Amino acid sequence: MAFPLKAEHASETEDSESDQKTVKFVVVKKREEDLPREQLDITSFEAMMLPHLDAAHNLARWLLRNEEDAQDVVQEAYLRAFKAFRGFHGSNGRAWLLTIVRNTSYTLLKKNHTVDLTTTFDEEIHASGQESLTPAAILENSEDAKLMTDAMDELPAEFREILSLRHQEGLSYKEISDITHIPLGTVMSRLARARAKLKECLAAHIGKEK
Amino acid sequence: MNCEESMKLMDAYLDGELDPITSQTIERHLRDCPNCDEVYETHGSLIRAIGNATPYYRAPAGLRERIQSSLREEVAERPRRTFTRDAQLLVPREQPERRTVLFGTPWNWMGLAAAVLLAAVVALNLVPRLQRPGADQFLATQLIANHVRSLMANHLTDVASSDQHTVKPWLDTKVDFAPPVVDLSSEGFPLVGGRLDYLDQRPVVALIYQRRKHFINLFVWPAESNASRAMNAISRQGYQLLHWADSDFNYWAVSDVNANDLQTFKQQFEGQTSHH
Repeated sequence: MAFPLKAEHASETEDSESDQKTVKFVVVKKREEDLPREQLDITSFEAMMLPHLDAAHNLARWLLRNEEDAQDVVQEAYLRAFKAFRGFHGSNGRAWLLTIVRNTSYTLLKKNHTVDLTTTFDEEIHASGQESLTPAAILENSEDAKLMTDAMDELPAEFREILSLRHQEGLSYKEISDITHIPLGTVMSRLARARAKLKECLAAHIGKEK
Repeated sequence: MNCEESMKLMDAYLDGELDPITSQTIERHLRDCPNCDEVYETHGSLIRAIGNATPYYRAPAGLRERIQSSLREEVAERPRRTFTRDAQLLVPREQPERRTVLFGTPWNWMGLAAAVLLAAVVALNLVPRLQRPGADQFLATQLIANHVRSLMANHLTDVASSDQHTVKPWLDTKVDFAPPVVDLSSEGFPLVGGRLDYLDQRPVVALIYQRRKHFINLFVWPAESNASRAMNAISRQGYQLLHWADSDFNYWAVSDVNANDLQTFKQQFEGQTSHH
């Protein structure tokens, strides 16, 4: 039942973000007509956040599994980030931006009901008796990019997300915990489960091909 | 360490997320256990393959420009939304004709509304700022991580003993300071043992106490002469943290017991150590 919870959390985060939007709006009022300052805002925002564009796009692309949606979400996330930028005082811009990309992605997944769909993943497809495959056989095929990508795309969103953050962004458990709002211990166990599931999916795919 | 424990920690070990002492314990186990060693070997290769074999989807050409222009549109729209209203607030006397009606509302009501909004802004801005990670917050994060790790990796103690006369000499040989160690069994906080840990890039001592089924990690290291003696209680992620200091040592207690229990613990600990 992790997913309904996840969805609820995503909407909570949305709420707190819209609060920040209100904040932004009013603060800006005091500085009206001050276009150069707005330009300055854009410049410093872009200098800090655009270097993470690839990371933002990669995460959205893995979560949404669709290029068009990924681009829309990234654009929307940057806009949200910009509106909340004056409330950002941390040093880890990438983690902050990825949190927003993630929340925006989940909002869309929720809207499209894709989150629910991914939870039906499991037994029927993957209990197809691939136990005979040895870890070594799985490993042999693990360099096959297509196999690996297909297997990963089959995983639930929370597994795709954590694998991408860990293996593609190389983030620490602590950073992943900050971005996904889950405790450190859960990061460890979820990552282990995600890898185990990935192995199963790989085995299933290898089995199919043979 | 047995095989089952080593399997449970495999992912965290391969990710380099375990404390050095637990890592060493695992390494020792792997040297002695070819089965586990092989599983670690294949799992490690698979983990490396995940990053290598999956595509990293770089942002396509054009997305950057799309974002940049949407930001500029956003900024261009802002004055339109806010200009008239603010002009009224700033220069009401020069534009009396606008003063009377603005969106059908007298301007002073807009002023009041703005004031209320401003107060809300101040309040809203203040809250995250208070929660902003300062030095203490950063330390708190580390403290919780160490506390969690000590329970997660089943590596609560290096020296397990409820006898302060066993724990203290052991610790004294391991670090270059001599932390006070007292057993608080009669006060409801039995001493479980001691452990070496790292915080803020320095070795520290962790004393472990038990409160019913909960554990308290009490981290101790020498106080700097100019350090603040202020007591500081933080509650985060369901954990309670309590900081205090005396002339020699810094103390941080971390636990999932309630705040009152932790305060009691601190008082008992201080009461007992001051007699020594």
